[in-house]
Amino acid sequence: MLIQKEMKLADVIHHDHKLVPVINRFNIHLGFGDKSIEDLCVEKEINLEFFLTILNAYHDHKYFPKKHLQSFPASVLVNYLNKSHRYYLDYKLPELEDFIMKLAEKTELDKATFTLLKNFFSEYKSELIQHINREEERVYPYVLQLESAIEKGNISPELIRQMDEYPIGDYETEHDNIEEKLFDLKNIIIKYLPELKNDDLLFLILKELFELENDLNDHSRIENMILVPKVEAMEFSIKTRNQ
Amino acid sequence: MPQRLIVILVEGSYIIQSGIELLIQEIPDLVLTEVYDGTEKKLVDKIQQKKPDVVIINPNILNETVRSVANQLNKNGVFLVGLVDNNTPDNLCSLFKLCMNINDGKYELLEILKNIAGNKTSGNAKKTTISELTNRELTILKQVVFGLTNQEIADKLFLSIHTITTHRKNITRKLGIKTVSGLTVYALINKIVELGEIEQK
Ligand SMILES: [Fe+2]
Ligand SMILES: [Fe+2]
Repeated sequence: MLIQKEMKLADVIHHDHKLVPVINRFNIHLGFGDKSIEDLCVEKEINLEFFLTILNAYHDHKYFPKKHLQSFPASVLVNYLNKSHRYYLDYKLPELEDFIMKLAEKTELDKATFTLLKNFFSEYKSELIQHINREEERVYPYVLQLESAIEKGNISPELIRQMDEYPIGDYETEHDNIEEKLFDLKNIIIKYLPELKNDDLLFLILKELFELENDLNDHSRIENMILVPKVEAMEFSIKTRNQ
Repeated sequence: MPQRLIVILVEGSYIIQSGIELLIQEIPDLVLTEVYDGTEKKLVDKIQQKKPDVVIINPNILNETVRSVANQLNKNGVFLVGLVDNNTPDNLCSLFKLCMNINDGKYELLEILKNIAGNKTSGNAKKTTISELTNRELTILKQVVFGLTNQEIADKLFLSIHTITTHRKNITRKLGIKTVSGLTVYALINKIVELGEIEQK
């Protein structure tokens, strides 16, 4: 289904409940009555076109209008990416960790296997945190500075130095695939754990893992295919302007 | 994943092409690699180059050439499927091993596709899905878990680095685990290595 601005957001959520965390990133919280997408955007001062595009791209993975997404200001993209980081760090990771810790008391999983899972997860957790921190401390601020410098036509030597030292191409090469370990964890749970009499908790963990993986895939896709080319174009325009 | 059967479709209508494509995606043993609309020159040659297992053809769009196309493909052992409608004459249907009627429902159409997949894969292809590791792969898995690099493993086992990478790819494919930490958890759960052994290294 193509999501359009006249539609009631409530109907859209009925159609695809996986969009709830996405609307949260735009500061829309449940309890929005019968308002249309357009009305909500006016009310909350949301960029309507961007909101619609993100909803559609998240809802249907084949719908990914690269050129159109690249046409939005970098600040809009970065804002969205930042918000999804918060969702992973403040909500998804703690929830998953909580479930995993409960495996020890709520199931008959042996202690050795429990410790293996726990350690594997905490290793993953610190990798993800590190990944996100690097983006938030180094990459995103650089992108925002580039954009505002171009807007103001005021390119400082400091910015040029940053551009030479850590161009976006370097970020792209070292931007690692943060979904790999999640994939492994899923398979370990699905295929290799000892059979448990009560595996309700494992179902919950799996469901969380699938959701997180799906969301991260979508997130990285925006970073790699939208943000990086956009920043490359900005870097190029500064370089040619300075010659 | 068992070896998949290569399917080629010859059909002119975009809507029907997309419909068939969606149906084929539901059968993991089948993969649609090429779609022709029937107007291509040297169609049979083009199809044969792709070495398909199955070709689905709408006889109506080939007009009088349909018989010769069917005969040539038949000679090459291709499994021919007719894409027919209620008005297709019976003598055209008889050119094919099976016919799918585009007026049928999803259930009937999927039954036919399952049939095609079952027919062709029942022999050897399904047997390639052994998930157990060979002894050599187990040896290499242990070394990976002990933290050795591919080069170090190659030196230790007197094998080429190329052989090691091939084995590692196979291990990952069989187990569905990509990272070293993931492999470590697998090896420990299955008692392929002991925790003490890893800590020593
Ligand atoms: Fe990110
Ligand atoms: Fe990232």
